[in-house]
Amino acid sequence: MVSLMLFQGAHAQDGDEENQPDQYVKIRLLTERNTVQPGDEILIGIEQSIYPEWHTYWINPGDSGAEPRITWDLPGGFSVGDIHWPTPHKIPYGPLMNFGYSDNAILMQKLTVPETLPDGPLTLTATLDILVCKDICIPESGEYTITLNDPSTPPEDNSAYLAKAQANLPVPVPWHASYEVDGENVTLKVKSDNISFDGIKPEGFEFFPLEWGLVDNPTPAKTTLYQNEIVMTQGRGERPLDEVKSTKIILAFTNSQNQRQAVSFIASYAPTGGTNTGTGTKKNQASSTGIVKALLFALIGGLILNLMPCVFPVLSIKALSLAKSAEKDPGHAKLSGLTYTAGVMLSFIAIAAVLISLKSAGAGIGWGFQLQDPLVVAALAYLLFIIGLNLTGVFEISGHFGNFGDKLTQGDGLAGSFFTGVLATLVATPCTAPFMAAAIGYALIQPSYVSLSIFAALGFGLALPYLALSFVPALQRILPKPGAWMNTFRQFLAFPMFASAMWLVWVLSQQTDSMGLFNILMGLVILAFGFWLLNHSPEKKSAKTIVQILAALAFLSAVLFLPFNAKENEAPRIESLSFGETYTPEKLANALLTDDPVFVEMTAAWCITCKVNHAVAIDIDSTRKLFTDKNINYLIGDWTNYDPEITEFLNSYGRNGVPIYVYYAPRDIVTGDRPKPKLLPQVLTPSIVERELNKL
Amino acid sequence: MSRKIAFILVGMVMLIMLAMPVYAAPQIGQPAPDFTATDIDGNEFTLSELKGKKVILEWTNNQCPFVVKHYGSGNMQATQKAATDKGAVWVSIVSSGEGMQGNVTSEEARAIMTEADAHPSAKILDPSGTIGHLYEAQTTPHMFVIDEEGILAYAGAIDSKSSPNPKSIETATNYVLAALDDLDAGRPVATSQTQPYGCAVKYSH
Repeated sequence: MVSLMLFQGAHAQDGDEENQPDQYVKIRLLTERNTVQPGDEILIGIEQSIYPEWHTYWINPGDSGAEPRITWDLPGGFSVGDIHWPTPHKIPYGPLMNFGYSDNAILMQKLTVPETLPDGPLTLTATLDILVCKDICIPESGEYTITLNDPSTPPEDNSAYLAKAQANLPVPVPWHASYEVDGENVTLKVKSDNISFDGIKPEGFEFFPLEWGLVDNPTPAKTTLYQNEIVMTQGRGERPLDEVKSTKIILAFTNSQNQRQAVSFIASYAPTGGTNTGTGTKKNQASSTGIVKALLFALIGGLILNLMPCVFPVLSIKALSLAKSAEKDPGHAKLSGLTYTAGVMLSFIAIAAVLISLKSAGAGIGWGFQLQDPLVVAALAYLLFIIGLNLTGVFEISGHFGNFGDKLTQGDGLAGSFFTGVLATLVATPCTAPFMAAAIGYALIQPSYVSLSIFAALGFGLALPYLALSFVPALQRILPKPGAWMNTFRQFLAFPMFASAMWLVWVLSQQTDSMGLFNILMGLVILAFGFWLLNHSPEKKSAKTIVQILAALAFLSAVLFLPFNAKENEAPRIESLSFGETYTPEKLANALLTDDPVFVEMTAAWCITCKVNHAVAIDIDSTRKLFTDKNINYLIGDWTNYDPEITEFLNSYGRNGVPIYVYYAPRDIVTGDRPKPKLLPQVLTPSIVERELNKL
Repeated sequence: MSRKIAFILVGMVMLIMLAMPVYAAPQIGQPAPDFTATDIDGNEFTLSELKGKKVILEWTNNQCPFVVKHYGSGNMQATQKAATDKGAVWVSIVSSGEGMQGNVTSEEARAIMTEADAHPSAKILDPSGTIGHLYEAQTTPHMFVIDEEGILAYAGAIDSKSSPNPKSIETATNYVLAALDDLDAGRPVATSQTQPYGCAVKYSH
């Protein structure tokens, strides 16, 4: 009968080596060095040498047992971090299963030395309560000390030994893991792009949840390995899963060199819908608030689009002419507002439908895909340029030619209103506002009816100011009285239009080579020439025909230039990459394996928000210095052209558009744990970046 | 209106069906598995006949250091007394198999009780592990609290500190007493399930 507590002295590690132990687990405390400087962070190892066939326990001991407890008595100002546990083993006992260690196990803690340190030796005392079991259990307790900065002892260096022990800790990995309950089983699903199972057998896989009661510990897990996915099924534990919403999991396996290896990650509970009404309803409620929020954001995003340089001119002219016509015929004004709204919303829904069908067909695309094709960008540049020419008065399109253009500035004709709506949508596409990116990122990971409603809300937001104007006479009265000034104003509005067109040309310059760019610029000149010709047709019939033929030729050749430009640049370069490296999934995976922090930025030439953020908050001296000081691996991905790898990265953070900024903080020096990646806001300032990077 | 009521009724029936246990293991909020056994004094004991009284099941093994922790410090006896004084029935169960640690005869069991000054309402020897497996008892101690209706209200550890050091009892929360307090006050049991700690139950292999 063992009922006495064994209290060993301070130098218990010097105990005998005989077969009949007075202790079943011998403890040795180790520090990297036995001298410390103020502000140091060093590792402490608590080494358990366990008597043959006996075992001690992991933090989750399994069906019985108890984890070791360590209580420190430290000199003033010193502190120790959490205990970091080596990968446990499964230890069966009768019908039960325990998790723990045999032979030798080193627990680790990080010791933080204060900024001010007294002279002379410092004594650190640990009281350990350890349960050690074979068929029976014996609790062992003892006090152990380490002395640091003792001038009378020779310097000691255990850093290599502790580094080796640290290498045995599970490696934290950024894998996506979730578990669900299926009848009497729990299924754990782990996904990552960076898992390769060549030469690895599913038989060697074991998983250890940190939370108790998730799985039935004694039942072995069934493992299936897929490309980039591990699926493990084990009996269900006794604890209700709404108490275990997430848990850290240690996954151990035998690698191709026949060595045991382990990783750790966080898994969360993913309730399966359908069979369980209780949680099912809850989930629906939660997501319906998500939908309402996304719809609201979409609406606000749409409203903001009205202020974009590409959209504002079209709408302000339209609005001013509305004031004129509304006085005469308020009914017609309302109808015009409605058809315009219909035009905008249908265009947005059409874009969304294209996007959704492409996505469901498996294309790795996301929001902004319209601008990933140089052909579309060139066409949009032409369109904005033509609108600009029209606004300056270089040409007027006569009534029978085209539905938008002239009529768009006149405000009559319902078809005209509808196509103004289409036009507004077209010209708004480049201006992905920050609000939109979040809403659209959410939209595209939802069922298609939700996605479509979000796009419709976005369109409604864009249409709303004009719609309100056409319905509320009070708003119309706020508008200035029509007059000759309108012509000047109209010409003025051509300049934001031209600016938008030039910006698209610059985007093109990122997508094609210099020859393609030259073609596009010549195309613009020829277009302008064609319109000028039309507007200066001579009176004489024969001459007029010649001029018209010439103009038609000009338009044709401008359009013919487009296909040349459609040739994509093979390797899209990131403009002015003054620091940082080009993103690839492999580079990110490798960077995450190091201890250093990682910063990932996803950008695109056509994304203004991205460019502004980069220029204002990242590519500045202070941030550059911060990145260098913190030894940050800075990776930039360019989504200007179609890139499925970047799309996948965006999707993994629930986004479907750029910009995105993800910060992976450095690993904890003791545990090797990397904190969860942190998403930065989509509008950056230097202080936001600094604050995020200086956390911890 | 009546259609609406029918709809609600159907919904409730479906919910109840969903809430039915999928497997036999004891579950919080479900009827505690019934058993009949003879205690060390030769009295027949049936759990379901104790309806109207709260019942506490305690798995024990006098040689397990965690049991020693709670009996050596007097904590288990105090918990027993607090429960039985309020009218609850306390049943200590030994599921150690023959030849395993803690396997005792009725005489030895009585001697252990006398020495420890323990006063359970009944002590049951379960060397075949039948009752232990019925409740999936894992550790000594492993505690179960059953309410007056025979519903399992608590399962898990005796308290919140899994250390074998008796000093930890001073600062620990006694989950059994907390569950009894909640039941007496008519509240739902706040902590109804915890991870049991202690030695493995020494079932016969």
